[in-house]
Amino acid sequence: MAGYMMLDGNEAAVQAMKMAKVKVISAYPITPQSSIAEKLSDLVSDGILKAKYLRVESEHSAMSAAIGAQLTGVRAATATSSVGLALMHEVLNVASGCRVPIVMPVVNRALVSPWSLWCDHQDSMAERDSGWLQLYCENVQEVFDFVTMGYRIAEHEDVLTPIMVCLDGFFLSHSMQKVLIPEQSEVDEFIGDYIIKNTYLDPTDPMIINNLTSPDEFTEMRYQQKVGFENAAKVMDEVFLEFEEKFGRAYRAVEGYRLGDAEAVIVSMGSMSGTVKHVVNMLRSEGKKVGALKIVSFRPFRNDLVNEMLKGIKRIAVIDRTAGLGSQGTPLWHEVCNSIDKASSDVIVKNYVGGLGGRDISIETIKKVFADIMDDHSQNRSPVWIDVKENAMDIRQVYINV
Amino acid sequence: MINIKFYGLGGQGVVTAAKTLSVAVSIYEGKYAVTIPAYGHERRGAPVYTDIRIDSEPVLANCFVYEPDIVLVMDESIREKNIDVSKGKHHDTVLVLNTADGSVARSYKDAYGFKDVFYVDATHCALNNIGLNIPNGAMLGALAKTGVVTINSIEDALKETFGEKAGVKNANAAREAYEKTEKI
Repeated sequence: MAGYMMLDGNEAAVQAMKMAKVKVISAYPITPQSSIAEKLSDLVSDGILKAKYLRVESEHSAMSAAIGAQLTGVRAATATSSVGLALMHEVLNVASGCRVPIVMPVVNRALVSPWSLWCDHQDSMAERDSGWLQLYCENVQEVFDFVTMGYRIAEHEDVLTPIMVCLDGFFLSHSMQKVLIPEQSEVDEFIGDYIIKNTYLDPTDPMIINNLTSPDEFTEMRYQQKVGFENAAKVMDEVFLEFEEKFGRAYRAVEGYRLGDAEAVIVSMGSMSGTVKHVVNMLRSEGKKVGALKIVSFRPFRNDLVNEMLKGIKRIAVIDRTAGLGSQGTPLWHEVCNSIDKASSDVIVKNYVGGLGGRDISIETIKKVFADIMDDHSQNRSPVWIDVKENAMDIRQVYINV
Repeated sequence: MINIKFYGLGGQGVVTAAKTLSVAVSIYEGKYAVTIPAYGHERRGAPVYTDIRIDSEPVLANCFVYEPDIVLVMDESIREKNIDVSKGKHHDTVLVLNTADGSVARSYKDAYGFKDVFYVDATHCALNNIGLNIPNGAMLGALAKTGVVTINSIEDALKETFGEKAGVKNANAAREAYEKTEKI
């Protein structure tokens, strides 16, 4: 029988990794991920989790060790945040290129500088082209469920691609919520044992992998990864449906919320999506025709589903928790723009930047976005920084040799 | 939905109190709760706060509480530390205050205009039952007087959070505080 547990997001991630029976853990602690590294360590030292815990000296080593371990035929676990993910950048691409289907919780935190401990999505957005699948969680139940499903999706023989399960720092990592946890036997049945389906290492017969690849084959190997992503979309849909059948909770790569007859919709990812739904309910009770679209799978990005679900909606607000500096807009906005049929020129897709470096995306902020998109008459399509303060250009200014 | 804000000083167990309340309503009353902790540069003795939302339906909003229905203050000195515990309050907002002094409770009510003030000497209840100046468990007992949660659920959740031995002591502190809480 499944039972309720009170867990924060980090504990839910640990619970899922534990139930997936990871055999090697190589994690380097970093706020706000630290309690994942600590709790996995406790489970190993208490003998509850039969695994080898490697104390590595950096995130670069953490990912390298996880890749090596998983290639020997076991599930390897690691997790990180922010600059830790940035330090992994080189090796993330090794994991994806070698087709090692590691499941990694990423606790979203701003990149430096300015130095911050708090949530935004720039860390995982900076890795959006690293060849990893990316899912974004709205609540703590999703953290457990997406990590669990992550093993099935990443390890599928048609996918063999590592996956980041992204959870917002503090808003999820340290938010305690009621989570339904299945029995170990149910998880065993659902994800099964780890089986090597591609490159592997045999410690008794060492060999070199990831050798120099000439221009003659490089493109083809990248193409294999591209096909892996295309397959991931289908596999993900199937895994979601199978999960729903077995555990009763329905997930989709893109989730629509009260879209029927909606005239204005906010597209979002992560914990802010819950607040968006809350505001949709508030505004609906006032008779306003609004809805929400939550992107669960950012990689692969499901332009097919986004296009279908936003059909007929004229006012679309896309909120990103990352700045997209120097670009026409933020990453999610670009994806949404390119998903919508170009036929209808009267559709407005407006870009909003908010919630950077831990700034709260409050009920008021979401209301402000809805008010702005519903009353948009300007031709200016540059991103709106919805929660920036008026004194932005006056703080921390240093004048020297001007 | 009920929006709650806890204020206290680092070391008083503010975050643990919010988690324990979350356990009490979620596990023992079949409701839903989301804690929204505000981690920052806290250190022992510095003002801290944390938020919690409770509802009979799953809680969707995941952002800080700006208009609390209940404000809980674990240390009466907090108003001297440049913290306005009445921020965002509305005409039905109530205060739960740790103080031994009824006149302090009265001054909080008059100065900030809370609808009701529930007060108890939670520090004394904590010292009396657990021997430590950590008033969080006792304050949850006082909170039960507002009706947002039952004292039985608080006792059960404290036992679960702190384990059988320390849990019983904390539950006793909560019960004593619950019984001694005055309302003005």
